[in-house]
Amino acid sequence: MREQVVCKTSDIEPGEMMKSTFGKQNVLICRTPDGEFYAFMNQCIHQGAPLDKGMMCGAATELSTPGDYDYSHEGEIIRCPWHGREFNIKNEGRMLANPDKKIPSFKVRIEEENVILFK
Amino acid sequence: MTNQKIPLVDTDIHERVCYSDILDKLDEPFKHYIENCHWIQEKHMPYTQPSVAGVDRADAVLPDGRPAGSDLGFMQEQLLDEIGHEYGILTSALDPSPSSMHGWHEMAAALASAYNDWQIENWLDIDERLYGSVHVAAQDREAAIQEIERVGDHPKMVQVLLPIDDIMWGEPYYHPIFEAAEKHNLMIGMHHNEPPVYYGKWPRYFIEWHTLIPTAHMKQITSMMFNGVFEKFPNLGLMMIEGGFTFIPHLMWKMDQQYRDLRHEVPWLKRKPSQIMKEQVRFTTQPAEELTKKEFTSLLEQMGTDEMLCFSTDYPHWDYDSPHRALPNMDRELKQRIFADNAKNFYPKLPNDD
Ligand code: FES
Repeated sequence: MREQVVCKTSDIEPGEMMKSTFGKQNVLICRTPDGEFYAFMNQCIHQGAPLDKGMMCGAATELSTPGDYDYSHEGEIIRCPWHGREFNIKNEGRMLANPDKKIPSFKVRIEEENVILFK
Repeated sequence: MTNQKIPLVDTDIHERVCYSDILDKLDEPFKHYIENCHWIQEKHMPYTQPSVAGVDRADAVLPDGRPAGSDLGFMQEQLLDEIGHEYGILTSALDPSPSSMHGWHEMAAALASAYNDWQIENWLDIDERLYGSVHVAAQDREAAIQEIERVGDHPKMVQVLLPIDDIMWGEPYYHPIFEAAEKHNLMIGMHHNEPPVYYGKWPRYFIEWHTLIPTAHMKQITSMMFNGVFEKFPNLGLMMIEGGFTFIPHLMWKMDQQYRDLRHEVPWLKRKPSQIMKEQVRFTTQPAEELTKKEFTSLLEQMGTDEMLCFSTDYPHWDYDSPHRALPNMDRELKQRIFADNAKNFYPKLPNDD
Protein backbone atom coordinates (compact mmCIF):
# COMPACT_ATOMS: atom_id res chain seq x y z
CA MET A 1 0.00 0.00 0.00
CA ARG A 2 1.23 3.43 -0.91
CA GLU A 3 0.37 6.41 1.19
CA GLN A 4 1.59 9.92 1.54
CA VAL A 5 0.87 13.14 3.40
CA VAL A 6 -0.19 15.66 0.74
CA CYS A 7 -0.96 18.69 2.92
CA LYS A 8 -2.08 19.83 6.35
CA THR A 9 -5.77 20.20 7.14
CA SER A 10 -5.10 23.86 7.92
CA ASP A 11 -3.76 24.42 4.37
CA ILE A 12 -7.28 24.37 2.91
CA GLU A 13 -10.31 26.24 4.16
CA PRO A 14 -13.73 24.63 3.66
CA GLY A 15 -14.94 25.46 0.13
CA GLU A 16 -11.41 25.65 -1.26
CA MET A 17 -8.99 23.42 -3.11
CA MET A 18 -5.29 23.16 -3.82
CA LYS A 19 -2.93 21.13 -5.92
CA SER A 20 -0.34 18.75 -4.54
CA THR A 21 1.56 15.67 -5.62
CA PHE A 22 1.08 12.04 -4.72
CA GLY A 23 4.23 10.28 -5.88
CA LYS A 24 4.64 11.58 -9.42
CA GLN A 25 0.95 12.22 -9.84
CA ASN A 26 -0.46 15.78 -9.82
CA VAL A 27 -3.44 15.71 -7.53
CA LEU A 28 -6.19 18.08 -6.50
CA ILE A 29 -7.25 18.20 -2.87
CA CYS A 30 -10.72 19.64 -2.32
CA ARG A 31 -12.32 20.54 0.99
CA THR A 32 -16.08 20.80 0.77
CA PRO A 33 -17.97 23.32 2.94
CA ASP A 34 -18.81 20.59 5.49
CA GLY A 35 -15.06 20.26 6.16
CA GLU A 36 -14.54 16.90 4.39
CA PHE A 37 -11.49 16.26 2.20
CA TYR A 38 -11.48 14.67 -1.28
CA ALA A 39 -8.70 14.04 -3.74
CA PHE A 40 -8.72 13.72 -7.52
CA MET A 41 -6.31 13.62 -10.39
CA ASN A 42 -5.50 17.26 -11.14
CA GLN A 43 -6.15 16.87 -14.83
CA CYS A 44 -9.49 17.26 -16.53
CA ILE A 45 -10.68 14.09 -18.24
CA HIS A 46 -11.85 16.12 -21.23
CA GLN A 47 -8.72 17.76 -22.65
CA GLY A 48 -6.38 17.72 -19.69
CA ALA A 49 -6.73 21.19 -18.13
CA PRO A 50 -5.22 21.76 -14.65
CA LEU A 51 -8.32 21.59 -12.46
CA ASP A 52 -6.83 23.60 -9.59
CA LYS A 53 -7.11 26.68 -11.83
CA GLY A 54 -10.87 26.19 -12.05
CA MET A 55 -13.34 26.86 -9.25
CA MET A 56 -15.40 25.17 -6.60
CA CYS A 57 -18.99 26.29 -6.73
CA GLY A 58 -22.58 25.06 -6.76
CA ALA A 59 -24.64 24.06 -9.75
CA ALA A 60 -28.07 24.05 -11.24
CA THR A 61 -28.91 20.36 -10.91
CA GLU A 62 -30.63 17.65 -12.88
CA LEU A 63 -33.74 18.33 -10.81
CA SER A 64 -34.27 21.53 -12.79
CA THR A 65 -37.20 21.49 -15.19
CA PRO A 66 -37.56 23.74 -18.28
CA GLY A 67 -37.60 27.32 -17.08
CA ASP A 68 -37.24 26.34 -13.41
CA TYR A 69 -33.76 26.17 -11.91
CA ASP A 70 -32.86 23.91 -9.02
CA TYR A 71 -29.57 25.16 -7.56
CA SER A 72 -27.64 23.30 -4.87
CA HIS A 73 -24.37 21.48 -4.03
CA GLU A 74 -22.78 24.82 -3.07
CA GLY A 75 -19.01 24.30 -2.86
CA GLU A 76 -19.29 20.67 -3.99
CA ILE A 77 -18.80 21.16 -7.72
CA ILE A 78 -15.47 21.51 -9.52
CA ARG A 79 -15.70 23.62 -12.65
CA CYS A 80 -12.88 23.12 -15.15
CA PRO A 81 -10.80 26.23 -16.03
CA TRP A 82 -11.07 25.58 -19.77
CA HIS A 83 -14.44 24.45 -21.08
CA GLY A 84 -16.21 24.75 -17.77
CA ARG A 85 -17.40 21.15 -17.41
CA GLU A 86 -18.82 20.49 -13.96
CA PHE A 87 -17.85 17.56 -11.73
CA ASN A 88 -19.57 16.57 -8.49
CA ILE A 89 -17.03 16.10 -5.71
CA LYS A 90 -19.50 14.24 -3.47
CA ASN A 91 -20.54 11.92 -6.28
CA GLU A 92 -17.14 10.36 -7.03
CA GLY A 93 -16.15 13.26 -9.28
CA ARG A 94 -18.82 12.45 -11.86
CA MET A 95 -19.51 14.90 -14.68
CA LEU A 96 -22.89 16.55 -14.34
CA ALA A 97 -23.53 16.50 -18.08
CA ASN A 98 -22.45 12.86 -18.39
CA PRO A 99 -22.35 10.98 -15.07
CA ASP A 100 -20.78 7.93 -16.75
CA LYS A 101 -17.53 9.88 -16.78
CA LYS A 102 -15.63 10.78 -13.65
CA ILE A 103 -12.31 12.25 -12.62
CA PRO A 104 -10.13 9.49 -11.16
CA SER A 105 -10.07 9.89 -7.39
CA PHE A 106 -7.84 8.87 -4.50
CA LYS A 107 -8.71 7.65 -1.03
CA VAL A 108 -8.15 10.17 1.73
CA ARG A 109 -7.82 9.86 5.47
CA ILE A 110 -7.02 12.43 8.11
CA GLU A 111 -4.61 11.74 10.93
CA GLU A 112 -4.26 14.62 13.34
CA GLU A 113 -3.25 17.57 11.14
CA ASN A 114 -2.27 15.44 8.16
CA VAL A 115 -4.22 14.86 4.97
CA ILE A 116 -3.07 11.46 3.74
CA LEU A 117 -3.71 9.94 0.33
CA PHE A 118 -3.53 6.19 0.00
CA LYS A 119 -4.14 3.48 -2.55
CA MET B 1 1.72 13.39 -23.43
CA THR B 2 1.85 17.18 -23.31
CA ASN B 3 5.54 17.30 -24.11
CA GLN B 4 5.29 15.22 -27.23
CA LYS B 5 6.06 17.69 -30.04
CA ILE B 6 3.97 17.73 -33.16
CA PRO B 7 4.39 19.88 -36.24
CA LEU B 8 1.94 22.68 -35.77
CA VAL B 9 0.72 25.76 -37.56
CA ASP B 10 -1.89 27.13 -35.20
CA THR B 11 -4.39 29.08 -37.29
CA ASP B 12 -6.22 30.94 -34.54
CA ILE B 13 -4.43 32.60 -31.64
CA HIS B 14 -5.96 35.60 -29.93
CA GLU B 15 -3.45 38.13 -28.70
CA ARG B 16 -5.15 40.84 -26.70
CA VAL B 17 -4.79 44.59 -26.72
CA CYS B 18 -5.90 47.04 -24.05
CA TYR B 19 -6.76 50.56 -25.22
CA SER B 20 -3.96 51.94 -23.08
CA ASP B 21 -1.46 49.94 -25.17
CA ILE B 22 -2.40 51.57 -28.46
CA LEU B 23 -3.15 55.14 -27.40
CA ASP B 24 0.22 56.36 -28.58
CA LYS B 25 -0.45 54.89 -32.00
CA LEU B 26 -3.90 56.39 -32.35
CA ASP B 27 -4.40 59.55 -34.39
CA GLU B 28 -6.19 62.55 -32.93
CA PRO B 29 -8.98 63.22 -32.27
CA PHE B 30 -9.52 59.51 -31.58
CA LYS B 31 -6.95 59.38 -28.82
CA HIS B 32 -8.73 62.34 -27.23
CA TYR B 33 -12.09 60.57 -27.48
CA ILE B 34 -10.75 57.62 -25.51
CA GLU B 35 -8.49 59.49 -23.11
CA ASN B 36 -10.58 62.52 -22.30
CA CYS B 37 -14.07 61.75 -23.49
CA HIS B 38 -14.33 58.27 -21.97
CA TRP B 39 -15.36 56.39 -25.08
CA ILE B 40 -15.46 52.67 -24.53
CA GLN B 41 -16.65 50.07 -26.92
CA GLU B 42 -20.04 48.90 -25.89
CA LYS B 43 -20.35 45.17 -26.31
CA HIS B 44 -22.90 43.20 -24.52
CA MET B 45 -23.83 39.59 -24.70
CA PRO B 46 -26.98 39.09 -22.70
CA TYR B 47 -25.76 35.87 -21.10
CA THR B 48 -23.74 34.49 -18.25
CA GLN B 49 -20.09 34.19 -19.19
CA PRO B 50 -19.44 30.73 -20.59
CA SER B 51 -16.69 29.71 -18.21
CA VAL B 52 -14.80 30.24 -14.98
CA ALA B 53 -12.76 33.24 -16.23
CA GLY B 54 -15.31 34.72 -18.62
CA VAL B 55 -14.41 33.94 -22.22
CA ASP B 56 -10.83 32.96 -21.37
CA ARG B 57 -9.05 29.90 -20.08
CA ALA B 58 -8.75 30.57 -16.35
CA ASP B 59 -5.10 29.50 -16.36
CA ALA B 60 -4.28 31.92 -19.18
CA VAL B 61 -5.09 35.01 -17.13
CA LEU B 62 -1.73 36.53 -16.23
CA PRO B 63 -0.45 36.02 -12.69
CA ASP B 64 -0.54 39.80 -12.16
CA GLY B 65 -4.17 39.96 -13.21
CA ARG B 66 -3.73 41.33 -16.72
CA PRO B 67 -6.09 39.79 -19.27
CA ALA B 68 -5.34 36.50 -21.01
CA GLY B 69 -3.41 36.90 -24.26
CA SER B 70 -1.99 40.33 -23.42
CA ASP B 71 1.62 39.30 -22.79
CA LEU B 72 3.89 37.68 -25.37
CA GLY B 73 6.25 36.20 -22.77
CA PHE B 74 3.44 34.38 -21.02
CA MET B 75 1.98 33.19 -24.31
CA GLN B 76 5.38 31.83 -25.33
CA GLU B 77 5.69 29.92 -22.11
CA GLN B 78 2.15 28.56 -21.92
CA LEU B 79 1.51 27.93 -25.60
CA LEU B 80 4.24 28.40 -28.20
CA ASP B 81 7.14 26.78 -26.32
CA GLU B 82 5.05 24.28 -24.39
CA ILE B 83 3.34 22.86 -27.48
CA GLY B 84 6.25 23.57 -29.82
CA HIS B 85 4.50 25.70 -32.43
CA GLU B 86 6.18 26.09 -35.76
CA TYR B 87 3.95 29.04 -36.69
CA GLY B 88 0.96 30.76 -35.20
CA ILE B 89 -1.50 33.09 -36.90
CA LEU B 90 -2.69 35.94 -34.71
CA THR B 91 -6.35 36.81 -34.98
CA SER B 92 -6.65 39.22 -32.06
CA ALA B 93 -9.52 40.28 -29.88
CA LEU B 94 -9.91 43.79 -31.26
CA ASP B 95 -13.31 44.16 -32.72
CA PRO B 96 -13.95 47.07 -35.10
CA SER B 97 -16.95 45.17 -36.52
CA PRO B 98 -20.06 47.03 -37.63
CA SER B 99 -22.35 45.93 -34.83
CA SER B 100 -19.92 46.54 -32.02
CA MET B 101 -18.98 50.01 -33.33
CA HIS B 102 -22.63 51.03 -33.71
CA GLY B 103 -21.96 52.89 -36.95
CA TRP B 104 -18.93 54.92 -35.83
CA HIS B 105 -16.69 53.71 -38.62
CA GLU B 106 -14.26 56.63 -38.30
CA MET B 107 -13.26 55.37 -34.86
CA ALA B 108 -13.27 51.77 -36.11
CA ALA B 109 -10.84 52.64 -38.91
CA ALA B 110 -8.53 54.57 -36.56
CA LEU B 111 -8.50 51.70 -34.05
CA ALA B 112 -7.71 49.18 -36.78
CA SER B 113 -4.68 51.20 -37.96
CA ALA B 114 -3.34 51.72 -34.45
CA TYR B 115 -3.89 48.05 -33.77
CA ASN B 116 -2.00 46.90 -36.86
CA ASP B 117 1.01 49.02 -35.91
CA TRP B 118 0.93 47.68 -32.36
CA GLN B 119 0.61 44.09 -33.57
CA ILE B 120 3.60 44.44 -35.91
CA GLU B 121 5.78 46.15 -33.34
CA ASN B 122 5.01 43.98 -30.32
CA TRP B 123 4.33 40.54 -31.76
CA LEU B 124 5.21 39.99 -35.43
CA ASP B 125 8.58 41.71 -35.28
CA ILE B 126 9.50 40.01 -32.01
CA ASP B 127 8.57 36.34 -32.28
CA GLU B 128 9.53 34.80 -35.58
CA ARG B 129 6.87 32.11 -35.23
CA LEU B 130 4.01 34.60 -35.24
CA TYR B 131 2.19 35.83 -38.34
CA GLY B 132 -0.57 38.39 -38.36
CA SER B 133 -3.91 39.57 -39.67
CA VAL B 134 -4.58 43.00 -41.16
CA HIS B 135 -7.43 44.57 -39.24
CA VAL B 136 -9.76 46.82 -41.16
CA ALA B 137 -13.04 48.55 -40.56
CA ALA B 138 -14.53 46.91 -43.61
CA GLN B 139 -17.83 48.72 -43.19
CA ASP B 140 -15.88 51.74 -44.50
CA ARG B 141 -14.72 50.28 -47.79
CA GLU B 142 -12.32 53.03 -48.80
CA ALA B 143 -10.66 53.18 -45.39
CA ALA B 144 -10.30 49.40 -45.44
CA ILE B 145 -8.56 49.48 -48.82
CA GLN B 146 -6.23 52.25 -47.65
CA GLU B 147 -5.26 50.20 -44.62
CA ILE B 148 -4.58 47.12 -46.74
CA GLU B 149 -2.40 49.28 -48.98
CA ARG B 150 -0.61 50.68 -45.93
CA VAL B 151 0.34 47.47 -44.09
CA GLY B 152 -0.54 44.66 -46.50
CA ASP B 153 3.01 44.30 -47.74
CA HIS B 154 4.43 43.59 -44.31
CA PRO B 155 6.14 40.21 -44.76
CA LYS B 156 4.34 38.67 -41.81
CA MET B 157 0.79 39.82 -42.57
CA VAL B 158 -0.93 36.82 -44.13
CA GLN B 159 -4.60 37.73 -44.26
CA VAL B 160 -7.22 40.46 -44.00
CA LEU B 161 -9.65 39.81 -41.21
CA LEU B 162 -13.35 40.35 -41.86
CA PRO B 163 -15.97 40.00 -39.15
CA ILE B 164 -18.90 37.66 -39.37
CA ASP B 165 -21.43 40.13 -38.21
CA ASP B 166 -24.28 41.91 -39.96
CA ILE B 167 -22.81 42.47 -43.42
CA MET B 168 -22.83 39.79 -46.12
CA TRP B 169 -19.39 40.14 -47.66
CA GLY B 170 -20.35 38.71 -51.07
CA GLU B 171 -22.13 42.01 -51.81
CA PRO B 172 -20.39 43.50 -54.88
CA TYR B 173 -19.90 46.87 -53.17
CA TYR B 174 -17.18 45.23 -51.03
CA HIS B 175 -15.35 43.46 -53.85
CA PRO B 176 -12.65 46.13 -54.08
CA ILE B 177 -11.52 44.97 -50.63
CA PHE B 178 -10.91 41.51 -52.09
CA GLU B 179 -9.09 43.04 -55.01
CA ALA B 180 -6.75 44.87 -52.63
CA ALA B 181 -6.17 41.72 -50.59
CA GLU B 182 -5.39 39.64 -53.65
CA LYS B 183 -3.00 42.29 -54.90
CA HIS B 184 -0.98 41.98 -51.68
CA ASN B 185 -1.00 38.18 -51.58
CA LEU B 186 -3.27 38.25 -48.55
CA MET B 187 -6.02 35.74 -47.92
CA ILE B 188 -9.32 36.61 -46.25
CA GLY B 189 -9.79 35.32 -42.71
CA MET B 190 -13.31 35.44 -41.36
CA HIS B 191 -13.97 35.16 -37.69
CA HIS B 192 -17.32 35.58 -36.03
CA ASN B 193 -17.93 38.52 -33.80
CA GLU B 194 -21.42 38.54 -32.48
CA PRO B 195 -23.29 37.33 -35.51
CA PRO B 196 -27.02 37.27 -35.53
CA VAL B 197 -27.96 33.61 -35.65
CA TYR B 198 -31.58 33.76 -34.64
CA TYR B 199 -33.64 35.74 -37.13
CA GLY B 200 -31.39 38.72 -36.53
CA LYS B 201 -31.58 38.48 -32.74
CA TRP B 202 -30.00 36.80 -29.77
CA PRO B 203 -31.59 33.49 -28.81
CA ARG B 204 -32.54 33.03 -25.16
CA TYR B 205 -29.46 31.06 -24.13
CA PHE B 206 -25.73 31.32 -24.86
CA ILE B 207 -25.74 27.61 -25.68
CA GLU B 208 -28.25 28.22 -28.48
CA TRP B 209 -26.22 31.11 -29.88
CA HIS B 210 -22.91 29.27 -29.63
CA THR B 211 -24.35 26.10 -31.17
CA LEU B 212 -25.65 28.04 -34.16
CA ILE B 213 -22.52 30.07 -35.00
CA PRO B 214 -21.70 27.68 -37.87
CA THR B 215 -24.91 28.83 -39.55
CA ALA B 216 -23.48 32.37 -39.70
CA HIS B 217 -20.31 30.94 -41.27
CA MET B 218 -22.39 29.05 -43.83
CA LYS B 219 -24.20 32.24 -44.76
CA GLN B 220 -20.95 34.07 -45.49
CA ILE B 221 -19.52 31.26 -47.63
CA THR B 222 -22.80 31.07 -49.55
CA SER B 223 -22.81 34.83 -50.08
CA MET B 224 -19.20 34.90 -51.32
CA MET B 225 -19.79 31.84 -53.50
CA PHE B 226 -22.88 32.93 -55.42
CA ASN B 227 -21.82 36.55 -55.72
CA GLY B 228 -18.87 35.20 -57.67
CA VAL B 229 -16.07 36.39 -55.40
CA PHE B 230 -14.00 33.24 -55.94
CA GLU B 231 -14.40 33.35 -59.72
CA LYS B 232 -13.59 37.04 -59.85
CA PHE B 233 -10.51 36.65 -57.61
CA PRO B 234 -9.08 33.22 -58.38
CA ASN B 235 -5.99 33.73 -56.23
CA LEU B 236 -8.02 34.67 -53.19
CA GLY B 237 -8.62 32.15 -50.44
CA LEU B 238 -11.04 32.27 -47.55
CA MET B 239 -10.19 30.89 -44.11
CA MET B 240 -13.28 30.36 -41.98
CA ILE B 241 -12.12 30.68 -38.40
CA GLU B 242 -13.78 29.11 -35.39
CA GLY B 243 -16.99 27.88 -36.91
CA GLY B 244 -16.13 24.19 -36.73
CA PHE B 245 -16.11 21.90 -39.75
CA THR B 246 -18.73 19.18 -39.55
CA PHE B 247 -21.12 21.23 -41.69
CA ILE B 248 -18.76 21.25 -44.70
CA PRO B 249 -20.16 18.19 -46.55
CA HIS B 250 -23.70 19.45 -46.08
CA LEU B 251 -22.86 22.85 -47.54
CA MET B 252 -20.99 21.33 -50.50
CA TRP B 253 -23.84 18.98 -51.36
CA LYS B 254 -26.46 21.65 -50.87
CA MET B 255 -24.71 24.27 -52.99
CA ASP B 256 -23.94 21.80 -55.79
CA GLN B 257 -27.52 20.61 -55.97
CA GLN B 258 -28.86 24.17 -55.89
CA TYR B 259 -26.38 25.19 -58.58
CA ARG B 260 -27.56 22.44 -60.90
CA ASP B 261 -31.13 23.71 -60.59
CA LEU B 262 -30.50 27.43 -60.41
CA ARG B 263 -27.35 28.09 -62.43
CA HIS B 264 -29.28 30.54 -64.62
CA GLU B 265 -29.29 33.07 -61.80
CA VAL B 266 -25.52 32.98 -61.18
CA PRO B 267 -24.06 32.05 -64.57
CA TRP B 268 -20.66 33.46 -63.60
CA LEU B 269 -19.91 30.35 -61.62
CA LYS B 270 -17.79 28.21 -63.92
CA ARG B 271 -16.90 25.55 -61.37
CA LYS B 272 -19.09 23.50 -59.07
CA PRO B 273 -19.43 25.20 -55.69
CA SER B 274 -17.91 22.17 -53.98
CA GLN B 275 -14.93 22.39 -56.32
CA ILE B 276 -14.50 26.08 -55.52
CA MET B 277 -14.64 25.27 -51.83
CA LYS B 278 -11.98 22.58 -52.23
CA GLU B 279 -9.74 25.00 -54.06
CA GLN B 280 -10.30 28.27 -52.22
CA VAL B 281 -11.95 27.79 -48.82
CA ARG B 282 -10.33 26.41 -45.66
CA PHE B 283 -11.59 25.86 -42.14
CA THR B 284 -9.92 26.03 -38.76
CA THR B 285 -10.80 23.04 -36.62
CA GLN B 286 -11.67 24.56 -33.26
CA PRO B 287 -14.14 24.18 -31.61
CA ALA B 288 -13.93 20.57 -32.72
CA GLU B 289 -16.96 18.45 -32.09
CA GLU B 290 -15.97 15.28 -30.25
CA LEU B 291 -15.79 12.76 -33.07
CA THR B 292 -14.60 9.18 -32.97
CA LYS B 293 -11.86 8.23 -35.38
CA LYS B 294 -14.46 6.49 -37.53
CA GLU B 295 -16.71 9.54 -37.62
CA PHE B 296 -13.78 11.84 -38.40
CA THR B 297 -12.54 9.60 -41.23
CA SER B 298 -16.01 9.36 -42.68
CA LEU B 299 -16.39 13.14 -42.57
CA LEU B 300 -13.14 13.61 -44.52
CA GLU B 301 -14.41 11.10 -47.07
CA GLN B 302 -17.62 13.06 -47.41
CA MET B 303 -15.61 16.24 -48.02
CA GLY B 304 -13.67 14.42 -50.72
CA THR B 305 -10.39 15.94 -49.56
CA ASP B 306 -8.24 16.13 -46.47
CA GLU B 307 -6.79 19.47 -47.50
CA MET B 308 -9.49 21.78 -46.15
CA LEU B 309 -8.93 21.50 -42.39
CA CYS B 310 -6.30 23.52 -40.54
CA PHE B 311 -5.75 22.91 -36.86
CA SER B 312 -6.35 25.78 -34.45
CA THR B 313 -6.30 26.15 -30.68
CA ASP B 314 -8.16 29.45 -30.20
CA TYR B 315 -5.78 30.16 -27.30
CA PRO B 316 -6.41 31.74 -24.79
CA HIS B 317 -10.17 31.40 -25.01
CA TRP B 318 -12.26 29.16 -22.81
CA ASP B 319 -13.08 26.74 -25.60
CA TYR B 320 -9.38 26.21 -26.45
CA ASP B 321 -8.63 22.96 -28.25
CA SER B 322 -5.58 21.01 -27.11
CA PRO B 323 -3.45 19.81 -30.05
CA HIS B 324 -3.00 16.55 -28.14
CA ARG B 325 -6.60 15.87 -27.28
CA ALA B 326 -9.10 17.65 -29.51
CA LEU B 327 -9.01 15.46 -32.62
CA PRO B 328 -8.99 11.67 -32.82
CA ASN B 329 -5.72 9.85 -33.50
CA MET B 330 -4.72 9.85 -37.12
CA ASP B 331 -1.84 8.59 -39.17
CA ARG B 332 1.28 10.71 -39.53
CA GLU B 333 0.66 11.93 -43.07
CA LEU B 334 -2.85 13.08 -42.30
CA LYS B 335 -1.71 14.71 -39.10
CA GLN B 336 1.05 16.52 -40.97
CA ARG B 337 -1.53 17.92 -43.40
CA ILE B 338 -4.15 19.00 -40.87
CA PHE B 339 -1.71 20.31 -38.27
CA ALA B 340 0.71 22.06 -40.63
CA ASP B 341 0.78 21.58 -44.39
CA ASN B 342 -2.76 22.64 -45.25
CA ALA B 343 -2.20 26.03 -43.66
CA LYS B 344 1.24 26.37 -45.28
CA ASN B 345 -0.25 25.60 -48.67
CA PHE B 346 -3.07 28.06 -48.10
CA TYR B 347 -1.22 31.18 -46.97
CA PRO B 348 1.18 32.24 -49.73
CA LYS B 349 3.23 34.32 -47.28
CA LEU B 350 3.79 31.53 -44.77
CA PRO B 351 7.18 29.85 -45.28
CA ASN B 352 6.75 26.50 -46.97
CA ASP B 353 9.81 24.37 -47.59
CA ASP B 354 8.01 21.67 -49.53
S1 FES C 1 -10.45 20.30 -20.37
FE1 FES C 1 -11.84 20.38 -18.74
S2 FES C 1 -13.73 20.82 -19.62
FE2 FES C 1 -12.36 20.65 -21.29
